[in-house]
Amino acid sequence: MNQTIERAKEILTRYDGPHCRIMEVCGTHTHEIFRQGIRRILPRQIELISGPGCPVCVTPVGYIDEAIWLALEKGATVCTFGDLVRVPGTEASLQTARGEGAAVKVVYTPLDAERYAAEHPDEEVVFLSVGFETTTPSACLAVRKAQQDGIRNFSLLTANKTMPGAYEAMKDSTDLFLYPGHVHAITGTGICEKLAEEGVSGVCAGFTASELLTALAVAVTRYQEGKPFFVNCYPRVVRPDGSPKAQSLVAAMMEPCDEEWRGIGIIPDSGMKLKESCQMYDARTRFQVPEMAGRANPACRCGQVLKGELLPTQCRVFGKACTPEHPVGACMVSSEGACSAWYLYGQNL
Amino acid sequence: MCVGLSAKVVSVKDDVAIVDASGARRKVSAALLSDLEPGDFVMVHAGTAIAKITDDDEDETGALLDLL
Repeated sequence: MNQTIERAKEILTRYDGPHCRIMEVCGTHTHEIFRQGIRRILPRQIELISGPGCPVCVTPVGYIDEAIWLALEKGATVCTFGDLVRVPGTEASLQTARGEGAAVKVVYTPLDAERYAAEHPDEEVVFLSVGFETTTPSACLAVRKAQQDGIRNFSLLTANKTMPGAYEAMKDSTDLFLYPGHVHAITGTGICEKLAEEGVSGVCAGFTASELLTALAVAVTRYQEGKPFFVNCYPRVVRPDGSPKAQSLVAAMMEPCDEEWRGIGIIPDSGMKLKESCQMYDARTRFQVPEMAGRANPACRCGQVLKGELLPTQCRVFGKACTPEHPVGACMVSSEGACSAWYLYGQNL
Repeated sequence: MCVGLSAKVVSVKDDVAIVDASGARRKVSAALLSDLEPGDFVMVHAGTAIAKITDDDEDETGALLDLL
């Protein structure tokens, strides 16, 4: 084992400072911390809680209903990241809608959906555009490519979200944030520094064992000092100004809008939608999608899990009615969901 | 969908790069990065290279702990 990991482990295992709640904003952090066994070495005073940073998990039920409506009522070919296929809508998932004739294709990138549209001019192709600041530029690249190629049968059903509003909504639920490294590779660290000035602490973290242990060791050491702080613990990827190219691409094509987060509700200006100049690529405008409120299964506690209020194991249906094979809520479906992580690794705690 | 993948750039043409991630090669968009060259390391997310990176996390994590 390398020297850095040993040093960081020693800081963490010997920590005897005040109780410290750390919110893993990013779902991949939740999974990697479990997978690498990091939870098992932490003392009781360091408590890790899940946050709202799994894009599939925070996508509201009504969005799945909209996607199914587009596939079944409008005959659109729905292209999506694989994680969304089994997320329950009000009455069905995209997977069960396939059985009723819905055309649902899994793609690796929005650009694959645009290419599919170019190759199938007789189909209306809708890409399910979910994700945070990290994924939104790829969706904009796909629309820009469609514009350049003169493709007119391609559109986005947007549910893109931005993190600053979620940080504001969650800041009283935690002592400090483990910020999602790849979001800040795009946005830069300005928002984290601003939050530190307002008294909200956090560290930007990478995903390897060395990066996660170092970020946690830095976080608890600085927390013990008692002053608000921000430390970028992932400088090989995150630069202070982020990716100016990605920022200007998104700003040219999209604009902020109020957005619903599953379990949290509507957060003002926390979503991104296509600007009027790109509206022919907006599926809601193109197909006049009716408003769909969506109803989650009342037994599901994903909302409280996403706010760090409840451990997945405290949900009544966890591991019983709700399993990765038969998910009741989105947090059990997604490979980045907190319930999925607890189901896979929680028994080893 | 939200998982980043570090990869080594094999070739770049226009806005498209061929990258090698632990032996697996695939085509990704390089439209968000300038001056990308074969041999560079990048972080790939949803089929797009989002940042140039260094290939090793050890130096910087060691340096961060030195500051404590």
